[in-house]
Amino acid sequence: MLSRVAENLYWLGRYLERAENVARMAEVNYNASVEQRAAGGDDSQLWTALVGALDAEEEYAEAVAATPDLSPGEWLIFSESNPNSLRSTVTLARSLARELREHISREVFEEINLLYLSATRAPHTAGMRPFTASVKRTVAAIVGLFDNTVLLNEGREWLRCGLFIERADMTSRIVDAKYFILLPSPADVGGTLDTYQWMGILRSASALEAFRKRYRGAITGGRVAELLMLDEDFPRSLRFCVSTLTRHFERATEATPRQQALPAARELALLDLDLGAADAEEVVEAGLHEFLGEFEARLARVHDAIKEGIFRAVPTAALAR
Amino acid sequence: MADLLSGYRTLAGPDEMFAPDGTYRPAYVEFAERFRRWDAEEYRLRQAASDLEQLNGGVTFTVYQDQAGTERIFPFSLIPRIISAGEWSVIEAGLVQRVTALNQFLTDLYGDQRCIRDGVIPAELVESAPGFNARMRGFEPTLGVWAHIAGIDLIRDRDGIFRVLEDNLRTPSGVSYVLENRRTMLNVAPDLFPGGSVAPVDEYPDRLLDMLVAVRPAGVEAEETRAVILTPGSYNSAYFEHSFLARQMGIELVEGRDLLVHKQRVYLRATTGLERVHVIYRRVDDDFLDPLVFRADSTLGVAGLFDAYRAGNVTIVNAIGNGIVDDKVTCRFVPEAIRYYLGQEPIIPNVDTYVGALPSDLEFMLANLGDLVMKPSNASGGYGIVIGPQASAADLQAARERLRANPSGYIAQPLQEFSTIPSFDGERLEPRRADLRPFVVTGSSSWVLPGGLTRVASDSTSYIVNSSQGGGSKDTWVLRQPRGA
Repeated sequence: MLSRVAENLYWLGRYLERAENVARMAEVNYNASVEQRAAGGDDSQLWTALVGALDAEEEYAEAVAATPDLSPGEWLIFSESNPNSLRSTVTLARSLARELREHISREVFEEINLLYLSATRAPHTAGMRPFTASVKRTVAAIVGLFDNTVLLNEGREWLRCGLFIERADMTSRIVDAKYFILLPSPADVGGTLDTYQWMGILRSASALEAFRKRYRGAITGGRVAELLMLDEDFPRSLRFCVSTLTRHFERATEATPRQQALPAARELALLDLDLGAADAEEVVEAGLHEFLGEFEARLARVHDAIKEGIFRAVPTAALAR
Repeated sequence: MADLLSGYRTLAGPDEMFAPDGTYRPAYVEFAERFRRWDAEEYRLRQAASDLEQLNGGVTFTVYQDQAGTERIFPFSLIPRIISAGEWSVIEAGLVQRVTALNQFLTDLYGDQRCIRDGVIPAELVESAPGFNARMRGFEPTLGVWAHIAGIDLIRDRDGIFRVLEDNLRTPSGVSYVLENRRTMLNVAPDLFPGGSVAPVDEYPDRLLDMLVAVRPAGVEAEETRAVILTPGSYNSAYFEHSFLARQMGIELVEGRDLLVHKQRVYLRATTGLERVHVIYRRVDDDFLDPLVFRADSTLGVAGLFDAYRAGNVTIVNAIGNGIVDDKVTCRFVPEAIRYYLGQEPIIPNVDTYVGALPSDLEFMLANLGDLVMKPSNASGGYGIVIGPQASAADLQAARERLRANPSGYIAQPLQEFSTIPSFDGERLEPRRADLRPFVVTGSSSWVLPGGLTRVASDSTSYIVNSSQGGGSKDTWVLRQPRGA
């Protein structure tokens, strides 16, 4: 497969997954903020926390300097000037899909194109909820259509690699969002507000129902961390994402010269081992935020190794033949 | 129910659907019976369904001289151009004749130039022409084919005769719209099709692929032939078409950066290493193909490609250098070339053309500009055209000055009152001038796609059908059996 096409499919997977996650996080935040305002509370911190979890504080500050009444929700969802807004992510996915037309089916392209057309047709007026809901539904439809209408070849594996590396990264950021929501005092740890916030994290990862099935008792930080980071069977956990990513990467690179695939494969194997050996209580004890930061950095190394070793490789060895 | 077909007024040229006495032309009789069941509201509903289908399917083109990357759908009109079987067989023979002669013309111009010695075309119009590529001298393409894919623009004149307006032998576009228009038509207006008598168009991708394999370099087996489409990228106005054809043929769509040349062989960069490429259907202009030989600032091409081409290790489709015969100047000499190489009278005549570079023609042009259409010799897309009968005195004067300053830069043709086809303007049917671009694919032999792209002007005063000027398109039906025969 053409290296450029493989890279584009990988990025299409990343953008689709990113769009779906941002939509879900925004939706949970929106509900929580409505609740807080109804209870007479201040909801601004919820949105600031989301901006923090997405590593976008500086960009947001710049945007606010230019447009003082720009709300973080507006900026995260609709802003055209924010290259990572939901709308921008959908636009990027669609322009990749347009470049990839001959590698995806007509059905897949049409779904992505419809999403893009609806995103550009003044979504502000309809409000945030219909837009985020349609992003979630459409991304699920696209991934399903991809499985059912596109040849199961290397290209599909690259799309899956993109989906799972992005999902791992986003789940990590969702869990980390808790770090940015401050509790009024250390005594509140384990209290009602704390539990409520962890519940929000579970919802953001579509994990509340899975949590109820897995655990009979209270929602605690340790348990949430265990489910979202280390569970082998929950499809959004870090561990699940990394092992699935590893499997797709192996299939995608079956015919790739070994030395080109090795750096990424090594990073992935080590990451998988470390997640398998980790203990949730210890991680929370030692500092969840630090652990997640380290995890995201290691994922970025996997990404770089794929890019340098495969997508952008200079084929000197092949030329020598 | 208001009858959409009553009260239709034709223009100065003939109408494809209606005879001068208001009756239907034979090819349209069966269509009209079906179409009469529609009223304006029905038409609007079908049109909306068609627009939505094209927009959702991304059947769009990019408009230049506008905001960067503006995508538009190509306005599509549901009333087709219908050509009878008898008339089509003449057009088909005429196109094959013309393309055969054009290929021989190219071989000669880049070879012995017998045609110049024998007075078919003046030497100064060849060597000085921007389309002449001296690097191609002595080149012998596989099977002697230069114009593998030809789009020949035809119009039907006041007397009802089809004439050639221009030849497009470099990278003619539009065929994807022919296929998409048919698909749209079948989806939104299946009730208009006379049962089983319209020639299908979906054979095109197979014919194209067969041709690409047929013109592979010597020494390569048919089964191992790797053909690719080379596109300038997704911002090109015809990107949809490039991707469409790649998808339909199941071959890779590549950009210049995906290819590299090593020891005069072309490879594509794959995740599994380098893979040899034998045939490149390029949709990139000659000038941008190889920065080492042509424009050094081009990032669209592949360094070393020309060298690999001349070494015979890769076939480029269409050949490099075709610009010499498809410019508007050389077009004037094609009927003579047909007589010269084939010993036959041209089956399809040319539109009368005056060439500024010929002194006698220049004199005529300056004297009669008000009755002529003046065009730049080397521009496409309908840009820079002056329509004499519609131009102001000041515009005509400016045009004359441009012509005097650079005679060889312009050609002129009489204003053609070419034929119209009814289109729906939202309320009623209105005549729109229309041309026809049939596509001829040539490998071991020539094959003509039944029909072609019918392009229509944006309103009833316009003579320009280019999509970049707001024109639209129609489905083109070639009937299989002559009606009433």
